[in-house]
Amino acid sequence: MFRRVLIANRGEIALRIIRACHELDVEAVCVFSEEDRGAHYLSLADRAICIGGPQPLDSYLKSDRIIAAAEIAGADAIHPGYGFLAENAAFAEKCRASKLEFIGPSADSMRLLGDKATARSIAKKVKVPTVPGTDGILEEGEDAAKIAEQIGYPVMIKASAGGGGRGMRIVHQASELEETLKQAQQEAQGAFNSSEVYLEKFIEKPKHVEVQIIADQTGNIVHLGERDCTVQRRYQKLIEESPSPNIEARTRRDLCAAAVRLAKAAGYYSAGTVEFLVDEKGKFYFIEVNTRIQVEHPVTEMTTRIDLIKAQISVAAGEPLSFNQRAIKPAGHAIECRINAEDPEHGFRPCPGVIEKFRPPGGLGVRIDTYAHDGCRISPRYDSLIAKLIVYQPTREEALRTLKRCLREFVIEPIKTTIPFHERAIAHPEFIEGKFDTGFVERNLS
Amino acid sequence: MLDIDKIKKLIEMMVSNDLIEISLRDGEEEVNLRRPNSRLDVPTMSVQPGAGMHGAASNPGPAAPPAVAEQPNGKADAAAADLLEITSPMVGTYYAASDPDSPPFVTPGSQVHPGLVVCILEAMKVFNEIKSEVAGTIERVLVENGKPVEFGQPLFLVRPH
Repeated sequence: MFRRVLIANRGEIALRIIRACHELDVEAVCVFSEEDRGAHYLSLADRAICIGGPQPLDSYLKSDRIIAAAEIAGADAIHPGYGFLAENAAFAEKCRASKLEFIGPSADSMRLLGDKATARSIAKKVKVPTVPGTDGILEEGEDAAKIAEQIGYPVMIKASAGGGGRGMRIVHQASELEETLKQAQQEAQGAFNSSEVYLEKFIEKPKHVEVQIIADQTGNIVHLGERDCTVQRRYQKLIEESPSPNIEARTRRDLCAAAVRLAKAAGYYSAGTVEFLVDEKGKFYFIEVNTRIQVEHPVTEMTTRIDLIKAQISVAAGEPLSFNQRAIKPAGHAIECRINAEDPEHGFRPCPGVIEKFRPPGGLGVRIDTYAHDGCRISPRYDSLIAKLIVYQPTREEALRTLKRCLREFVIEPIKTTIPFHERAIAHPEFIEGKFDTGFVERNLS
Repeated sequence: MLDIDKIKKLIEMMVSNDLIEISLRDGEEEVNLRRPNSRLDVPTMSVQPGAGMHGAASNPGPAAPPAVAEQPNGKADAAAADLLEITSPMVGTYYAASDPDSPPFVTPGSQVHPGLVVCILEAMKVFNEIKSEVAGTIERVLVENGKPVEFGQPLFLVRPH
């Protein structure tokens, strides 16, 4: 086991990793930017080292300074958290070249699965269904109409250089294709300086369901069930839960098996999440793999009673998983709400500032993952996540009761937060019934 | 002979200015005062009679008390005396000279100007020459040879011309 781990992140995930380290009797060293100097969670680390200025590019993304900090602190491993350098294969390689273990997958599997095109081809090889589409960009001279016909309408035209939900256009029938394609290519050129596009089946009213996997370096790969992350706004997740109320048992079984097959084919180890879209008929399609721990990992921790961060650290230290697939028996229902410093009444605009009053809820089945407290400053430079409110009860109905109570109890003043949004979301009939798709927020709560 | 009153005054000054560490050398006597945790108001002490460049109070090992360097103590001095600071632009290990056999780049009294190399900071086996961005006379060297430094940590106090 490592003696000392350096945490290359900040805020709630840094605190989460400190806690896992301490329970493993491992020392935790945090890096921080000048913007985070004096943050309370830093005093819970065994040591904290300043690595730069407020801008992420000048601190949390400075891989050389992070590795230098690990060197001067005598750390033997680095945990990247999520975001920042967590999915940066070059950083993982740099760590290992400096004799520091990177707590995550190998750089190679990160590259294989991080690239959408290679991930798709691996998926196809092991019979994991993918979203039908062109393999790579639409080439000059290719018959777009024929391809679209094969894919089946409606079809999405996506800019290759786009991302984060930008540069996409839907075509509902063959007669619209030529014109929309021309427009899309022109727009892509203007916005992303590249007119390259690819075609993909547009899946209507999909649900977003992802599978948590964890694997050790001896080839033992286990899935820990799925999470439903369909409640999103502009591709940002807001509410996550497990099990998914939106899918049948057979779909669940097949999804999870597909995720394990994919991970195995890529030689993956550590924690990872395989994301799928599920259509109205219950057919699922592989989207992408996140080769890191995710924000919503606590949902799975509650239903499986497995500490995912500790598992990551153990796996990185070369230990085999202490459980096999048969030992995993998800039980109960967990729901997480991301409490962000955003104003849902005004287009979710960010509301950074100082929290004067922070009064989180409590009780049986309530977990709060947060770095916030009275007097805590939420900086405009980093993400707006203040706290993750996770509830866990034997049934979804009971979990919703607890969640409703907790959202009412939760006080964060004076900055605006997404608490009122969550109260409205979970009271909506579609959500209560457990039949919602990715259009839920825009349709009902905009 | 150690002056207990002087040490008591130093402790008071540390607490009231919320300093983490003070290191003083007076001839052959050396005093290192270190507060392990700013939540505790009682500093620990290590006093070493005798010469030498050793006597660093920090001890990186699991047995050592936690040390969170939230306020590098150079700031208190600089503010008081209108001195300029040369701060570290990176994370690494500080070396006063280009190699163990050479004299240090600068010492108190040395003249510096923008572009003059004042020390080496080593990280990932790369030795970086750190250049002054200010002009003046070195008033104090704030770091010990071979010690780790953080981003933004004051390395030198400079009296401007």
